[in-house]
Amino acid sequence: MPDPINTPTSTQSTLQAVRFRGGGFHPRRHPWAALAAFALLIALWEGTSRVGLASPLFLPPPSAVGRALAGMIADGSLWLNLKASLLRIGVGWSLGTLGGLTVGLLMGVASVARAVGVPLVSAFFPIPKIALLPLFILWFGIGEASKFATIGFGVFFPTVIAVYSAIDSVPRNLIRMAQSFGLPWGAILRNILLPGALPGILAGFRITASIALILVVAAEMIGAEYGIGAFVLMAGNLMQTDTLLAGVMVMSALGLTIGALLSLLERRLLVWR
Amino acid sequence: MSIARWTRRTLLQRTAFAGVALAAALAVGPQPVAAQTLDKASVGVLALSSSGPIFIAKAKGYFEREGLDVTLSTFTSAQQVPVAVASGDVDFGVTGLTAGFYNLAAKGAITMIAAQSRDEPGFPLSAYVATNAAHAAGLAKPSDLKGKRIAITTVGSTFHYMIGILGQKYGFTVKDVTMVPLQDVPKMVAAFKGGQVDAILAPSTVARQLVADGAGQILGWAGDETPWQLGALFTGPKTIQTRRPVVEKFVRAYKTALAEYHAAFNVKDASGALVKGPGYDALLTIIADATKQKPEIVAAGLPYVDPNARLLIDDVVNQVRFWQSEGQVDKALDPKSILDLSFIGQ
Repeated sequence: MPDPINTPTSTQSTLQAVRFRGGGFHPRRHPWAALAAFALLIALWEGTSRVGLASPLFLPPPSAVGRALAGMIADGSLWLNLKASLLRIGVGWSLGTLGGLTVGLLMGVASVARAVGVPLVSAFFPIPKIALLPLFILWFGIGEASKFATIGFGVFFPTVIAVYSAIDSVPRNLIRMAQSFGLPWGAILRNILLPGALPGILAGFRITASIALILVVAAEMIGAEYGIGAFVLMAGNLMQTDTLLAGVMVMSALGLTIGALLSLLERRLLVWR
Repeated sequence: MSIARWTRRTLLQRTAFAGVALAAALAVGPQPVAAQTLDKASVGVLALSSSGPIFIAKAKGYFEREGLDVTLSTFTSAQQVPVAVASGDVDFGVTGLTAGFYNLAAKGAITMIAAQSRDEPGFPLSAYVATNAAHAAGLAKPSDLKGKRIAITTVGSTFHYMIGILGQKYGFTVKDVTMVPLQDVPKMVAAFKGGQVDAILAPSTVARQLVADGAGQILGWAGDETPWQLGALFTGPKTIQTRRPVVEKFVRAYKTALAEYHAAFNVKDASGALVKGPGYDALLTIIADATKQKPEIVAAGLPYVDPNARLLIDDVVNQVRFWQSEGQVDKALDPKSILDLSFIGQ
């Protein structure tokens, strides 16, 4: 008997094995749970329509929404609208994120920048971008520039907040340790601050990607011929509820895709965790 | 909403410091009737002068006289009123006719029972306004709008149809113009002032303000170019089936107010100029109170109503055909199937 303590079959009855109490609190992947939840929701929804609990005008059943969606795919309008919106989301989000990263980083490391920035962000962040649309039209016209600007501004402020608070949450003792080992400022930034802030920044991306999706509808209020937001607005104005929901479905599918891409990015970049 | 109570209160206040006309109005007005004898009904309106006859019928007690206790619900956009009728939140609605309206009607959710206001020659409601630059480049009359960029509120709106019928008159289709949907009037004005479009279709107050600001030129009025049925009184088919007497009473009270409105605001003299009819000031005060506008602004944009609530049926048919050709209303919809004009005897 080399190790009587950890052997449950030990003949020494006075020693009891200790149950492993670690584990849990650990994000695990359950890909089927989400799918099952979606399927259940859709079945429930179709069911209420079939049974006659909901009128097809107020809540079109998923089958009607599916038909509208199939129509969009068949006549090519889905791709046309999606292409226009993806360009706006892509450019607007990148501009807002680049700006937000720069400013947030500055505010994270330089206390003067923070002293100036925090009240400015607090003052400008809560302004609803939709209220500024008439001004955006005057400044940027009704072409693509005003749409990029609407999304860009919407993304910029949350990114700033996410970046500087992520930098704040990097454990100070790590920085102190690096300093005591004599690491130069630039190396601390590169090897400790940025990787440490990355989880927070990526969580910020998740929020800003959703904000960009929400704002594409607002942006496409400005004279957009194509775009998934313009499509949803038009269906709403025409009271075509099944088409409206088909557009909404496309938007949530877009949200899911972006979320999945970000998860992939998180796993790649945060492999050190 | 407390608009109803509010109007009545102001009415009572005003009589206190004596307007002879209003005192007369009150004489036929809300008499204390035992509450249980009144049928309850509600009507969805916009706070615009196009809903004027409803405000008059309410303020002068025509609904009570018919035995109805009518509540007014105020909405902020024409789209919401038919939705509220379809969902049963209100029993009646009066608003402008849009593609969304016909889509709800096509699903059997609403039925038109009488006319609201219409665009008529000599009644300036909606203007074609050109920017100074476009005007200088030769955009001088409504028929020149072919091939131009025109800001509208939304696809399927009354402005969209006005461009459609203007095209029908001058031989072009909406494909020949670039319609820029900007959702609401402030954004249209911003695009107009920024020179992003050549022209806009604008309500009279906005159009006059643009001219006063030196931002553009009025090319003409939709009422002069293309008279059409702007709006209707409508209700749910279920209300007609189950509460027919209420609908009859409502339409009678509505028609009384329409006739009074028509006599006061819509009568022209031999030269074709509008003359102030009986009770002009009192009725103007009622509408100004209900719409929370200055009386002089209300007076400048009072639409035409048919005194007998008759609909321009040919135009309603044309509207449905237009939306169907644009692919915005179900092709299967028969325009006659969404009309029930038995209440106005048309």
